[in-house]
Amino acid sequence: MADEVQYTPRELLVVVASRLIQDGESVFVGTGLPLVGALLANHLHAPQMMAIYEGGSIGPEPTVLPWSVADSLTFCKAPIILSMSSTFGHSRAGYADIGFLGGAQVDMYGNMNATCIGPYDKPQVRLTGSGGANDMASLCQRIIFMGLHLPERFPEKVDYITSPGFLDGPGAREKAGLIGGGPWRVISHLGLMGFDEETCRMKLLSYHPGVTPEIIQQFTGFELLVDKDVEETRRPTEEELHVLRDVVDPNQLFVF
Amino acid sequence: MAHANDRLFDHQMAREFKLKKTRALVDKRMDLSDAVAQYVEDGDSLIETGFAYARGPMAAYWEIGRQKKQNLVGIYTPGGLNNLWHEFGGIEGAHVAYVGVEMRGLIAPFRRGVEAGTLKVFSDWSHGGLSASLRAAEQGMNYVASKSMLGSDVMKDNPYVKLGEDPWTGEPVCLIPAMYPDVAIFHVHHADKYGNGRVWGLSVNDTAIAIAAKKVVVTCERIVDTDDIRASAANVIIPWYCVDAVCEVPYGAWPGDMPGMYYFDRPLQEQVVRVDWKTPEATKAWVETNIYGTKNHYEMIQLAADEEGMNVLDYVKRLEQFACSAAYFGIGTWGTGGERDWKYEEVAKRAI
Repeated sequence: MADEVQYTPRELLVVVASRLIQDGESVFVGTGLPLVGALLANHLHAPQMMAIYEGGSIGPEPTVLPWSVADSLTFCKAPIILSMSSTFGHSRAGYADIGFLGGAQVDMYGNMNATCIGPYDKPQVRLTGSGGANDMASLCQRIIFMGLHLPERFPEKVDYITSPGFLDGPGAREKAGLIGGGPWRVISHLGLMGFDEETCRMKLLSYHPGVTPEIIQQFTGFELLVDKDVEETRRPTEEELHVLRDVVDPNQLFVF
Repeated sequence: MAHANDRLFDHQMAREFKLKKTRALVDKRMDLSDAVAQYVEDGDSLIETGFAYARGPMAAYWEIGRQKKQNLVGIYTPGGLNNLWHEFGGIEGAHVAYVGVEMRGLIAPFRRGVEAGTLKVFSDWSHGGLSASLRAAEQGMNYVASKSMLGSDVMKDNPYVKLGEDPWTGEPVCLIPAMYPDVAIFHVHHADKYGNGRVWGLSVNDTAIAIAAKKVVVTCERIVDTDDIRASAANVIIPWYCVDAVCEVPYGAWPGDMPGMYYFDRPLQEQVVRVDWKTPEATKAWVETNIYGTKNHYEMIQLAADEEGMNVLDYVKRLEQFACSAAYFGIGTWGTGGERDWKYEEVAKRAI
């Protein structure tokens, strides 16, 4: 074990996320770890990734990790700079393959909460609100969600549906009039999840080194389906960690 | 007087207001404190502009606190730094698409206020939904039919939007009415004295907001000749005819990001978000010192520099070093004129 590559849970999370992005895809980039994951993919294997930032920038070449999804670094060398309503409009038009976001809670049907813990009109914790998350979940073709894996953060039903997943199950998105494909992957510090095509329920695709599907189930607030081909998540490579630590986030703003 | 929410979607009232505005090219320059005193009235709905803490009119927000404006209604897509004032009677409630500082977390006074019930959330939105509402106002539409917010609790709980049916296809759509805030304050790189505002970078929702809002104040890093604006109009995002006041406020977005000029004051923001505003008592002390204890924006910056044991010019220089180079924006001009021989640093020096 001693000569194996060492990494933190957050680094693993970001590396796994970056692997989900293929070269040539467009990614609507949410704030926080998704920002880091998208930039990592861009530097590693997806040089032709098209980043969309909700402030209005599309396709920039940031030299340094931005602090905000709308700060000046997000439109460094961007060939076009638009407005907020345009970025969502273009996503609806079909120019956003992946919506990449985080939040406080995600449930068994991939519904996401960034609004409140407890009842909406008398919350125990009031969170930020949707920002662009609801629009990404509504309009992008595939959604990747990143979050910490704890039972209260993976409940059977989120306290508030800020961003729609499969709502209450098969057919619900279509019935509601939603156009995007909905949740596709969920990445936590314990594993990588997808969704069962028939039931729309979350299922485990791979478990990170050091944990088992049984352990992940204990940290999940609902019965987590397990894919028949479930496997251990590939460890971050030295190359992945080098680019993450030395190129994408050298000041350890996000990943520490 | 009617509540701000009762006129927020009143397109007829908004139009009456704008019919009375002058179209003439008149000199609208004034001091920031006068502009805030005159155009931000108690009970107004005040929409945050830029991307809140990126090219936001921070000097104006601090001045609103300094002047102890009362019972404003905040509109945040995104925003929320103004929420600070609710503990001082300044903000009654808010229409919220996003309040926070991304990876740095929540804005504590907002969270405290909502959880205690002292700060009302009148409505929640998505960024796309609220930006479409403002865009509808700018494009002259009563409402838009959107594919955002469908199926979510955001749509269910928002009292202003409705579930509708596309009359052509029969499919569900979210109907979003055009919004007309009472007052908006913008911070731009350059403005002429008539109010044409030019930026480098994202407009975010600013052009839509400028036309939607009834009263508009523009603060700028520098005032330039109108010839300079006319020679490079592509980056003008705010037209003169909607503008009521123009204020030259160098470092007006501090401690936020001003593209190409200065970057976030990161240590200060971390300190404010994680420590200074964590409790009502600490927030009160911070406001006493930094807002009530200062005459203007430059005394605030001076205080921040003193805190770091730095000369104030070195302090702002440090923020400029982090700025994304202006050359990246393909503009490469700092503008000319403004009825004085202008060098950015010189004006900053005089201002400070």
